[in-house]
Amino acid sequence: MKLIKKHIPLAIVVVTGLFTVASYYIPNKTSVDYLEMINKWENIVSAFAFLLGLISLFYSHFSKISRRTDGWGYSLFVFIGFAAMVVPAVLMHGKQMEAGQVTSLGWAFRSIYNPLSATMFAVLAFYIVSTAYRSFRIKSGQALVLFVAAFILILGKVPLGQIVWDKALGWTHYGVDQVIEWIMSVPAVAGKRGIMIGISIGTVVTSLKIIFGIERQYMGKD
Amino acid sequence: MKEILQKFFKIDRRWIFLLLAIVLFTPIIRPIGLPNKTIARDTRNAYEALDKLPKGSFVLFSLDYDPSTRPELQPQATAVIRHAFRRDLRVGVVTYIAGSTGLIQQIFEKVPGEFKKVNGTDYAIFPYMANPTAVMTQMASDFYGIYDKDQDGKDARSLPVMKGIKSYKDMAMVVNITGTSILDSWVALVGDKYNVPLVAGVTAISQPGYGPYLQTGQLKGLIGGMKGAAEYESLIQEPGKGTSGIDSLNLGHLLVLALILTSNIILLVIRYL
Repeated sequence: MKLIKKHIPLAIVVVTGLFTVASYYIPNKTSVDYLEMINKWENIVSAFAFLLGLISLFYSHFSKISRRTDGWGYSLFVFIGFAAMVVPAVLMHGKQMEAGQVTSLGWAFRSIYNPLSATMFAVLAFYIVSTAYRSFRIKSGQALVLFVAAFILILGKVPLGQIVWDKALGWTHYGVDQVIEWIMSVPAVAGKRGIMIGISIGTVVTSLKIIFGIERQYMGKD
Repeated sequence: MKEILQKFFKIDRRWIFLLLAIVLFTPIIRPIGLPNKTIARDTRNAYEALDKLPKGSFVLFSLDYDPSTRPELQPQATAVIRHAFRRDLRVGVVTYIAGSTGLIQQIFEKVPGEFKKVNGTDYAIFPYMANPTAVMTQMASDFYGIYDKDQDGKDARSLPVMKGIKSYKDMAMVVNITGTSILDSWVALVGDKYNVPLVAGVTAISQPGYGPYLQTGQLKGLIGGMKGAAEYESLIQEPGKGTSGIDSLNLGHLLVLALILTSNIILLVIRYL
């Protein structure tokens, strides 16, 4: 049992992991063919993972509706929304336009998906502005630096801000665009580069731990 | 005095929502029309990179955004595609975001007609594909291994616009307009590995994160947010949604600054007076 549950999966991970890493550094036909095969497998596995996720989502919301738990009405919209997009997509074979006319799928995209998705994101703007008023407190030196950088960036991002800058600080002979370019090219890039290097090292270490079987949480508890 | 300020400090957030709504809607109804005074270096670089391409070059557009980031990214995509058509470049469009397909459709209903461009001859739109990293890697050896048909089901190999195109080495440039991290994959898996010039358009919030790629030349140019779209529109001298949206952006940004300053001044007054 240990062979099936532990040793074989570990062997698959080690062999596949090492071959995949190596194929990125060995440019020949065999490695390219190998990568293409792995990509196809990845697509197939992703499709099954998507299906599994969909079944799980439906099961979870169906049980909410059948048990009439709090907010079960919202769960109905999971099925309504799914049907509103998938049924026209199947009927129209995925085409949003046909002979210059908008199909039912095109209509569903433009009149249901588009406004709903945009509204969800637009609502964020209201919460961000309200939170900025309530929570952005300049209580320390670091907060002051953050505020000054944000102030200049926001001001420079809009023409009205550029006009305000020219009127108030034109005497310095530094345009707001020059100051922004410096902020973006020096401190912002330095910070971002540090974060990117940190993330990359972390990813490499975690990947090696998985490939060599040190990290085994993905195999479950048994 | 302190009590009044404290009340103002704890104002019901719905008043702030109302104020923002007024600030955003007023310029939409009655535009102010403030001029866009500066053009960012990275937007200009993006414009010049595309402008230098010889006529007939093939440019692959990866338009990966959905309606949530549409106000910023759709004007960028429209402006860059207009520029490509004006320069008589061949255009191929792919996407890895399902929600993007309808938005691409909306651009191509209108823009090609302005330049008398024909589907299949001057441009091709390919269907949505999942798993972008796998697709990007596979396109390196055989484009048609992934996209054997265009979105209308026509054989991709036989399209005049695809003549001579087999992999990245036959493409003059890749343009990725996205509100996601797909751009990182384009840089790492395509731009760096196959030496393909890469230009991008991103949301304003994610723009500062791409500074390292610009400094190293991994990105030839970057269009950022609605301001970037307005800048590109002024470079191609075709005002569009980016230019008209800039008024709302103006007032919205200044409102945020005013609110942060106000709340901090109130806090200082309450604490020290």
